[in-house]
Amino acid sequence: MRRKARCAAVLALLAVLSSCSAGSTATVSQDESTLSVGFTAEPENFDFTSTDGAAIPQALLYNVYESLVKVDARGRIKPLLAKSWTVSRDRTVYDFQLRPDATFSNGAKFTARDVKFSIERAKTDWTISLKSKMDVVDRVEVLGPTHARVVLSRPSNSWLFDMASRVGAMFSRTGVADLANKPVGTGPYVVADRRRGDSIVLPENPNYWGRKPAYRTVVLKYIADPTALNNALLSNEIDVISQITAPDSVPQFEADNRFRVIQGTTSGEVVLAYNNAKPPLDDVRVRRALTMAIDRKALLDTAWAGRGELIGSMVPPTDPWFEDLSGAYPHDPARAKRLLASAGKQNMSLRLRIANLPYAMSAAQVIESELSEIGVRVTIEPLDFPAVWLKEVFTDHDYDMSIVQHVEARDIVTFGDPDFYWGYHNPRVARLLEQADSGPPSRQAGTMRRVARQITADAAANWLFLFPNVIAAKTKVTGLVPNQVSESFDLTGVKPAR
Amino acid sequence: MTTSAVLMALARRAAILLASVLVASVVIFLFMTVIPGDPAQVALGVNATPELLARTRHEFGLDRPLISQYLDWVGGVFSGDFGTSYVTREPIGPQLVDRLGVTVWLVGTGMLVALAMAIPLGTLAAVRHRKPSGAAISGFAQLGIAVPAFLAGMLLVQLFAVRLGWLPSGGWTPPNQDAGAFLRGLVLPALSLGLVQGAVLTRYVRTSVLDTLGQDYLRTARSKGLRPYQALFRHGLRNAALPVITVLGLQLATLLIGAVVVERVFVLPGLGSMLLDSVASRDLLAVQGIVLVLVVGVLLVNFVVDLLYTVLDPRLRGS
Amino acid sequence: MALAQRSRNASLLAGGTLVGLVVLAALVSFGWTPHDPLRVEATDRLLGPTGRYVFGTDRFGRDVASQLLVGARSTLYVGVVAVGLAALVGTPLGILAGMSRRWLGEFVMRANDLVLAFPALLLAIMFGAVFGAGTLTAMIAIGIATVPSFARIARSGTLQVMSTEYVLAARAAGRSPAFIARRHVLPNIAGLVIVQCSVSFAIAVLAEAALSFLGFGTRPPTPSWGRMLQESQELLAVEPRLALIPGIAIALAVLGFNLLGDGLRDRFDPRLEAYR
Repeated sequence: MRRKARCAAVLALLAVLSSCSAGSTATVSQDESTLSVGFTAEPENFDFTSTDGAAIPQALLYNVYESLVKVDARGRIKPLLAKSWTVSRDRTVYDFQLRPDATFSNGAKFTARDVKFSIERAKTDWTISLKSKMDVVDRVEVLGPTHARVVLSRPSNSWLFDMASRVGAMFSRTGVADLANKPVGTGPYVVADRRRGDSIVLPENPNYWGRKPAYRTVVLKYIADPTALNNALLSNEIDVISQITAPDSVPQFEADNRFRVIQGTTSGEVVLAYNNAKPPLDDVRVRRALTMAIDRKALLDTAWAGRGELIGSMVPPTDPWFEDLSGAYPHDPARAKRLLASAGKQNMSLRLRIANLPYAMSAAQVIESELSEIGVRVTIEPLDFPAVWLKEVFTDHDYDMSIVQHVEARDIVTFGDPDFYWGYHNPRVARLLEQADSGPPSRQAGTMRRVARQITADAAANWLFLFPNVIAAKTKVTGLVPNQVSESFDLTGVKPAR
Repeated sequence: MTTSAVLMALARRAAILLASVLVASVVIFLFMTVIPGDPAQVALGVNATPELLARTRHEFGLDRPLISQYLDWVGGVFSGDFGTSYVTREPIGPQLVDRLGVTVWLVGTGMLVALAMAIPLGTLAAVRHRKPSGAAISGFAQLGIAVPAFLAGMLLVQLFAVRLGWLPSGGWTPPNQDAGAFLRGLVLPALSLGLVQGAVLTRYVRTSVLDTLGQDYLRTARSKGLRPYQALFRHGLRNAALPVITVLGLQLATLLIGAVVVERVFVLPGLGSMLLDSVASRDLLAVQGIVLVLVVGVLLVNFVVDLLYTVLDPRLRGS
Repeated sequence: MALAQRSRNASLLAGGTLVGLVVLAALVSFGWTPHDPLRVEATDRLLGPTGRYVFGTDRFGRDVASQLLVGARSTLYVGVVAVGLAALVGTPLGILAGMSRRWLGEFVMRANDLVLAFPALLLAIMFGAVFGAGTLTAMIAIGIATVPSFARIARSGTLQVMSTEYVLAARAAGRSPAFIARRHVLPNIAGLVIVQCSVSFAIAVLAEAALSFLGFGTRPPTPSWGRMLQESQELLAVEPRLALIPGIAIALAVLGFNLLGDGLRDRFDPRLEAYR
């Protein structure tokens, strides 16, 4: 009886163990044709038409999905699926000449009907807020298999730029049945396999129309913990860290000749958001006082090891209308205190409800310390990002101050939307933004600069710093894009050193 | 003990197990309904219109009475269907099985490490309890218990993966894909999970062996000229094993949840990291499923421990 | 025997000293710390130990020694909440289960087993999701998960006491169960409960560290040893001191409570005396 029981227990254990290994298939082979890139944020699924967040386009855009045009490392618009295009004199009609040889990974040919399908689908089926970028499209006409015409309802200087982002991704009419799990695009890579909580494997697309990628397989490794991500590169399990989020650990890569550190800019403004719609931060004097009380240089040095740039407004230096406004509110606690006194707000308690991400957790502690110097009590509440932060701060506007990185390109336009979580409402800014978009392109930059100056003057938010793009890679990997201006981690130019 | 009595005891325990599982499932389900955050809202993101929200709530079945939602869920679970995640849009069941596989390997090897360390050290410490070496082992075990498992893990990674480059710093290779890489990857996680638990277990083994050594029959055996080890191996081990098995059961539960932390340190796609990811993205249906699996796992372990106890304990068998 | 005697006293002494140090650090921190533990000093970040900063500064330029002192408060707070809750709920339940032999006792112990199926860390993560991450939330969860161990100890102790002659005599004299519980049971099992408190305290301190590591523990900027460890883990290769100092503090505190528990157990439970 006893022996039998023991045997049975052993057998049961073996059965469990052997059955457990059955479900896994992800293959990672370490040879010259495979590149392994580490990321911190894992896509929840592959459907960026209905799931928000930066992780999905980072993995898929330009690599698996392609758009008509793409943005290069210097922020210029380049042809991709469109060979060329013309714009009418009134700037509302775009004629795109498409590549004749592009096919989707499901075998379907890419034609102008897919362009019409994709743009219209953004307007109808997408659920994420970015779909509004296609509101300006009046209609799409199919003039031939490789000739698509897009007619805008009014001129827009930003529309073509937006077409290079995820909203411009081209989908196959026969490939959208299971976007969340089976993406179908025209790009150089296809999604072969994913092991949730671990990796996504992108083998090359054998029928790709363009130049074959240098690496035949790319493995995207997802390692949530910044330290574990560093260790993976140090112990040779990955080849590249897409973005280091433990800034104080960068010197160990810089000092090691096995690795190369590339530091560029992103379009991610780390913003201390003020709830402009709610007392006490509806008072511009209070917002200015808080902005003056925080020493952004010191904050960058402590919270992010001095890596990153001070910007002073919602414009990254890669945008044509960048102007350095970081000196608008010099650090002056004494003046901040007087300003608060004149506003009658000496004893404030504010809730700082932040995304629970490293940069926000670090910055919040510096802000708490600095604001306590001028007598403002700050309670830090980290919220799970994205789920809880999106719900409570972004959607319900339940916050006094918040910290999050705004990664989308040219997101200064959010200050024209009074319903955005800033709660900022200045009709002049909304009007200027409207003018900048629909006015003549030659005036766009000048008008945008006025917008940036206005929101800075109103202290609509506190732009702490521009998030740096710090890539660490083995020296044998070249062609990484230093400046992250698009939403994609662009794998197409990455190649081994010769 | 007659066969029918054994069967009766078994049936009673099984009935208690089943009842516990049912009650636990109700508790878990109710708990999930009070978590703030509407799954439909989470799934739709930031610009959900009220109509879209209502449609999605209907699609997910969130507009139906709680009792029918619960029955659907439990009914599905019993047939292996844990539902489809609101966030990943994938069925949860296969995910759970896949992740559980990783965790079972981790806990299993962690347990082996713990046992391999605790049984010899604990016995040694007991037999030599009057000598400095025994006291040293006890002291060492005390220290081992006091170190947080994740700190031990991080230090092991620094030393063996980053500095020496002998072993990978993390990640998971399935055993059927590359057995060598699988084993290499499992060494550090199993050690950091197992060493701390091994220290805890060492103390229990020591106490248990000490107890046994004090029993009359062992004293008799020793008075007949047997050395302590001989006496212990001939007469005492089964008795010493009993309390250890009980503790082992409790420890298995601790390991199962301790794996959450170790999986985070070593980037293992196990049940623990699935739990953390699902909580972070408020994927409530997935959280519900994971918690149920973990809780049922603990209940099962307790059940098996109870059974083993009955089988091994001569006193209980006699009654 | 002599060695055993000495080692028992040594346990008690060493445990008492370590726990005493934690308490002392917490008390001192209310009146004095070398620096303001929360004050960020951009120019002083990542300094090594010097005369000005005994343990150096962290990456915010905050004084590690001051953080360590104030962090002792969190450690004690964590233990007191979790263990207090568990002891105050678990002990009466255990006594109840031990004194009433009927269905009530059975029911209490079954419910106990059910709670036992929810491991502490799991419960803390679930509570964190519902009520938001924070020290109090986490510790209430840990406390609830610890109730069964107190209930079990109290019940087995109570069963022993209930079979003693003086209790049988008291019952024969018509004393009420409440009287017996207060007068005979509680004083006799108090030792067991105190030992369990000390052991559970150690577990709670470790749990706070683990939860801080996972992001479900103490919120910034409140100093806690678990959070200090979590915040400095990315610097383990560059500035190991920052992780090791709080790590050692945690280990010593846990060691202290465990040793104290051991020493007290030997004092209260003479059963083991013969062969220890």
